[in-house]
Amino acid sequence: MKNRVRELREKHAWSQGELGERLEVSRQTVNAIETGKYDPSLPLAFKIAKLFGQRIEALFEYDEETR
Amino acid sequence: MVRLSRQAHQRRVMVAMAIYVAVFLWVWPLARSADALWLKSTYALAPVPPVVYVIWLMARRVLGGDELEQRTHLIGLGVAAGAVSVYGIVSGFLAAAHVFGADWSAAALVWIFPLLVVVYASARAYAARRYGGGACDEGMPTAVRFLYVAGLLTVAAAYIYWHKGDAESAGFAAGMAAGMLGGALFFALRQRLRRPDE
Repeated sequence: MKNRVRELREKHAWSQGELGERLEVSRQTVNAIETGKYDPSLPLAFKIAKLFGQRIEALFEYDEETR
Repeated sequence: MVRLSRQAHQRRVMVAMAIYVAVFLWVWPLARSADALWLKSTYALAPVPPVVYVIWLMARRVLGGDELEQRTHLIGLGVAAGAVSVYGIVSGFLAAAHVFGADWSAAALVWIFPLLVVVYASARAYAARRYGGGACDEGMPTAVRFLYVAGLLTVAAAYIYWHKGDAESAGFAAGMAAGMLGGALFFALRQRLRRPDE
């Protein structure tokens, strides 16, 4: 899954740790999501989308190649 | 449930381990000379509370983790359960066939929990690395943790050697201490090579 989490986090000038605090997850989890190594659960994906004021499909894109 | 920081978690585990070693060395041997059954049982089970405390800390850590952390814990516990099952069935068959002595069977049971912890920690670290290598790299460096265990085992080996004269047990503890020291050197060197600018 491709995502724009890093891009939006940097736009808000938040560190991974700060974003993790807002989402109530660890910095490592934020890093894993940003690098595409971990696909978040649906509730967490919605939480991220809500935090950035985006629709979920604008944030996450299904990528056939990475499956 | 209040989430403990990794440092606080590690500190508590280390204190519990030190208490476990102390109780195992100074209290548990009294079980062999105690006459009353209740006293014998109390001495024999004295090392159990620190172990139960560590299990409770582990459960607390898992329950307080986020979804990715819980996934890596689950992978670690799954691999550890598999390893302990294989160990259990192998040692069970060997014991049932009287391949080794009766003392060996009891010792095999005592090693179940340490085996579970080591395999769980290794598998979890491996799983965490697959997700970016971050989930296990906070808190106390791995080299320091290995050094701590090496120190505990050295104390145990020295105590057994000078107070009981049991060369075989002392040698076993000293050998494990040397292994842990080797592990500490390996992880210290690896960390140094990974971050040459620090």
